[in-house]
Amino acid sequence: MKRLAAIAALAAIATATACGSTGTTDTATAGGVYTTIDGSKQINASAPINPFNPVGSVFSGYNGMALAWPKNDPIDPNQYYPAIASSWTVSPDQREVVIHLQPNARWSDGEPVTSEDVRVSIGLAYTQGGTAYALDPKAAGAAADIQVVDGKTIRITQGANRSSMFLSNLLSTVVVPAHVFGRLLPGDFWSTLKLAQTGSGQAAERAKSRITGLAEKVIGFAPPHDVSAGPFVLERVNPGAALLRRNPYFYNSRAIAPDKVKVLNYTGNEQIWNYLISGRLDNAPFTSVPTAVMERIQEARGSRVVRGYSPVSTAMAFNQAHKPYDNAHVRRALAYLIDRAQVTRIASPEGGTPAATTSGIHAKAARAWLGDGFDRLDPYRVDPAKAAAELRAAGMVLRGGKWAMPDGKPWKVQIHVPASFSDWVSAAKSISSQLVDHGIDATVVTAADYTLYLGELADGKYDVGFWLIGLGPSPYNIFQRLFGQANGWQMFGGRLRHVAPGTEGNWMGGPQVVDAGADGRVDPGELTARLNFASPQEQKQIVGVLARIANQQVPVIQLWDYVNTQFVNTSRYTAFPPDDDESLRLSSGVWMQLGMIKKRQA
Amino acid sequence: MTVIINPEGVADPQASPARTTRATLRRNFWRGVWRVLRRKPSRMAGVVIIVLFALMGIAGPLLYPDNLPRDDNALYAPPSLAHPFGTDFEGTDVLALVVTGARYVLLTGLATAAITVAVGTAIGLFAGFRRGRWDTVLMRLTDMNLAIPGLPLLLVLSTVWKFEGPLEMGLVLGLLGWGGIARAVRSQTLSLRERGFIEAARGLGLPTRHIIGRELLPGMAPYIAMNMLIAVTGAVYAQVGLFFLGVLPFESNNWGVMLNLAVFNGGALTTPAALPYLLAPLLAILLLTLGIVLIVDAMDEIFNPRLREE
Amino acid sequence: MTNAVRGRPRWGAVARKTGGHLVRGLVMVWVVATISFVIIREIPGNPVLGQYESLIQKGMSPEQAERATAVLYGFLPTGSLWQQYLGYMGSLLHLDLGRSLSTPGVEVTTLIGSAARWTVLPVLAGTLLSFLLGVTMGVYAAIKRSGKLGDMLALSGSLLHGVPVYVIGLLLTAIFATLWPILPSGGPVDVEFVPGLNPGYLGSLLQHAVLPVVTYTLASYGGWILAMKSNVVAVLGDDFILAAELRGLKRGIVFRYLARNAILPLFTILALSIGMLFGGSIFIEEIFNYPGLGLLLVNSITSRDYALMGGTFLVITIGIVVANIVADLLYTAIDPRVRSGGAA
Repeated sequence: MKRLAAIAALAAIATATACGSTGTTDTATAGGVYTTIDGSKQINASAPINPFNPVGSVFSGYNGMALAWPKNDPIDPNQYYPAIASSWTVSPDQREVVIHLQPNARWSDGEPVTSEDVRVSIGLAYTQGGTAYALDPKAAGAAADIQVVDGKTIRITQGANRSSMFLSNLLSTVVVPAHVFGRLLPGDFWSTLKLAQTGSGQAAERAKSRITGLAEKVIGFAPPHDVSAGPFVLERVNPGAALLRRNPYFYNSRAIAPDKVKVLNYTGNEQIWNYLISGRLDNAPFTSVPTAVMERIQEARGSRVVRGYSPVSTAMAFNQAHKPYDNAHVRRALAYLIDRAQVTRIASPEGGTPAATTSGIHAKAARAWLGDGFDRLDPYRVDPAKAAAELRAAGMVLRGGKWAMPDGKPWKVQIHVPASFSDWVSAAKSISSQLVDHGIDATVVTAADYTLYLGELADGKYDVGFWLIGLGPSPYNIFQRLFGQANGWQMFGGRLRHVAPGTEGNWMGGPQVVDAGADGRVDPGELTARLNFASPQEQKQIVGVLARIANQQVPVIQLWDYVNTQFVNTSRYTAFPPDDDESLRLSSGVWMQLGMIKKRQA
Repeated sequence: MTVIINPEGVADPQASPARTTRATLRRNFWRGVWRVLRRKPSRMAGVVIIVLFALMGIAGPLLYPDNLPRDDNALYAPPSLAHPFGTDFEGTDVLALVVTGARYVLLTGLATAAITVAVGTAIGLFAGFRRGRWDTVLMRLTDMNLAIPGLPLLLVLSTVWKFEGPLEMGLVLGLLGWGGIARAVRSQTLSLRERGFIEAARGLGLPTRHIIGRELLPGMAPYIAMNMLIAVTGAVYAQVGLFFLGVLPFESNNWGVMLNLAVFNGGALTTPAALPYLLAPLLAILLLTLGIVLIVDAMDEIFNPRLREE
Repeated sequence: MTNAVRGRPRWGAVARKTGGHLVRGLVMVWVVATISFVIIREIPGNPVLGQYESLIQKGMSPEQAERATAVLYGFLPTGSLWQQYLGYMGSLLHLDLGRSLSTPGVEVTTLIGSAARWTVLPVLAGTLLSFLLGVTMGVYAAIKRSGKLGDMLALSGSLLHGVPVYVIGLLLTAIFATLWPILPSGGPVDVEFVPGLNPGYLGSLLQHAVLPVVTYTLASYGGWILAMKSNVVAVLGDDFILAAELRGLKRGIVFRYLARNAILPLFTILALSIGMLFGGSIFIEEIFNYPGLGLLLVNSITSRDYALMGGTFLVITIGIVVANIVADLLYTAIDPRVRSGGAA
């Protein structure tokens, strides 16, 4: 026993000395270490250094580069900052895009970035599928032809079924080095691709399956070390963080201040809060933050909040195949009863603004799309009298202070949310309390996790659930959340079809054709699909119609619009982007590429 | 790790007493209980705490209206006279939430304990009593039960199964946790058997029901009761823990949901504002544990005279 | 147990017994693998849709999210349940656990291997530390059981044993990572240090392990002190102690006798809890963001990574089964009464 105690004591001393000797890192240099968090992925030390792998150790803007970076424009999805592509030109009919690469771009092993790299990257993207690189020639906005003009110029042509998203999809192509990834493509890849896209019958099908069959090999490919064209290159990664060091060959290397970047992993928001309070992070992406935590974060030395536009809104959606939610009066009545300001104050005080109304669009984008039309929408201010009138119009009956179904059966509103989203849980609780105050029996039911929630939602098991909407900037993406797959409209091979409620993921169960007042009887799903290839004027007109339908039919009740609340710490670095900057939704690595973020001078 | 209270030294049931002495014994027993309780006032406190929780579970929800009142202007209000533990994210009194949430938690605990003990004792007794093939089969089953990692399985199950109420929750927890008791009861039965008095009773022509009900069970009852109490705490933790992790669907308010919302929505670990909201259910759990620990301590001494030093 | 044999064990009997245990263990692993296979395939929810919506929820644009998830459809299991089961069992025989969906293209065994490292280290340290501490304190608690100190020790043990591990973990984080931030929370080691046997790396490793280890130690210490106390109390009643006291033997000898006889039964529990450690502690790993097997399992469930879920579950189970066998053999070695005969 004594011997054991002695060993324990020795171990304790060793620990103490070891802990005391921190600070002898190999990174204490002039530019310093920039610490941040990548909100879009879990760090996984076992994953390959490969951007095609969803959890690969490639961090967008640091050691992962695209042709260009999207600006956060409320309505135009084709606004981009140059990256590997220094400039681009689009033909007037949007069919043809010519891309010019950065003349000085080099990989971290010194090799120049060439058109061949882009061509190989596009080839690899075809194996993964996705909009611009769909093998189906009928799919809207598929790239049909890729031509290397010279070492730094490449021309890409759109297929016959054109899409206004073509440029945007093209520019967000991730670029990988051909001398590392090139051998993943078999020698006859390009002829096979041609056959898959233009051929017909069995031969084309075989070619298609050969190309998609490469997907697994591409996704699992693990290069021995990182070769990056970005400002940083991966040095090492462990389950808690990734460390990147400066890439001396980066084309704009002089603009990059930090010597190293540390990307921390996180499993829950509260870890980010703790990092922020202790001032460890130079930048943290958007996280929902309670008011009291916000106050403590702002007390931290150098801590500053940057707010910008985030094209996402939270809504409470109805399953219109279930009674009484098939009746627009009932949905409107609920909209008149929910105090959205109070809900937002409880659920997302720092990361949201109460929705001005239900239009399906984030308020900022809605203003840009609709102009004055936005003010003519019904704002659904809290109005119990109007709500009661709507409920009566739907045939609901008030008995002993409680609303019941037209046949006298009790009406129970069950609001479903995934348990893991605490802001949604508290919002749903607040809504149910408010409804109870107005004589509607409402409860909150949570699902164990988000995947389960989505599965049961899609199976039509819920009456009322929470749903993200208004995913801009592309207007198609915005309304596809209301009048898309979840509501029965399926786009397959460039053709739109409507499926019956309760089948193939149609859980919203809305009618295929609605009466849109002055606009006549319209098919909102068909209109939404048309947004894909309509001209800007047409788009404006269609968005107006769809917003009015969303406002009158209330397939969802828009609760709050997200605000992109980011935290930066100015005690080590300065020159962060200002509020509402168009780069706010991009990573710090991109900010550095754009010439922002400078070392604070002591 | 679970520790099953050592069955060593459980009062011998040898003294199969005549009916006349039963009453006296019982009186003596209660006198002994009183003496043990009085010897340490903390044990009295334990009894008081448990009675309090029992009352809370039975009558708690009756003290408040069906829908707890909210104060829209006092979100996460600090503790005050009106709200001894402050308010939650929508301005509801935290104390009221703890009191009304107790029933769900305690009911799960009781259901779990009842099932654990019933299944465990039945299987253990049967295996130990019958021996032979039955014993082998039942013990393999018990091994299996012990080998299944409980918490990981619960995590997986929570996505497959809707735990709709406290009883259903208790059923699952109970069915996962009977292995330990079954094993202990079996070895207890075997050791009683070895002392030969089952054979003796058999020889006297007593029916099996009598042997189990009158000879075996009374000796093991205190031990079983103690394990039952411990099973209650175990169930409360497992359940509150799962709610805390956010993997259980919930409809009504309970302590685990409070912990979850306090930490992940209120930032109780980050700022003091939501701390009372976190501490109130934690305190309730600690108190419940304390009460049960103190009572088990007292029971241990009543039934295990060797612990007494005098 | 009529034919109890005293003295040295016969090796033939031991080998036969071990063989029997192994066969039973394999059957158990097979049963658990089958049960977990069936349950896991029953889990509702489409992993690809789930991942797509989560990415959107994190602020990714729909196109980007689609690009990141479309390819995952190729990784979903195909074929009937029965075919899948046969395939699963077939590859299990080759120790192949399949490929992960949440970390696509990576072998499940690789993921489990790297997570196991981070589980074994802190949990093993915590188990041993709490064992030493609990056993020592248990002896004191038993000897001084009528005094104030003994009472306090026993009560502290009961309370700590009773308090759920997540409560301890939450309180420790609140204190040492937030209110008084002297210890890091999150991650196993600072990535700035070059991995290897250098003081910086080892120091950072220890620093990050302190909170999880302390939490684990505190949580399991109570069990040990209670078990040791009750064992010592039982041994104190032995004739040897009585005789020793009468003869006035040295206190040291008495103490050694006491400790040895009381501690032996605990080794079987120790073996069991070391087997349990592969399950890690889900709560500890979740709270401290420590990348062990528990966290791996939680993540595999939320991402519906069937292969990873099954694999992690299996490894955890095998740990427990092996520990049970070891504990049984240990028990045989320690307690001669059960050396042969009687199913243990």
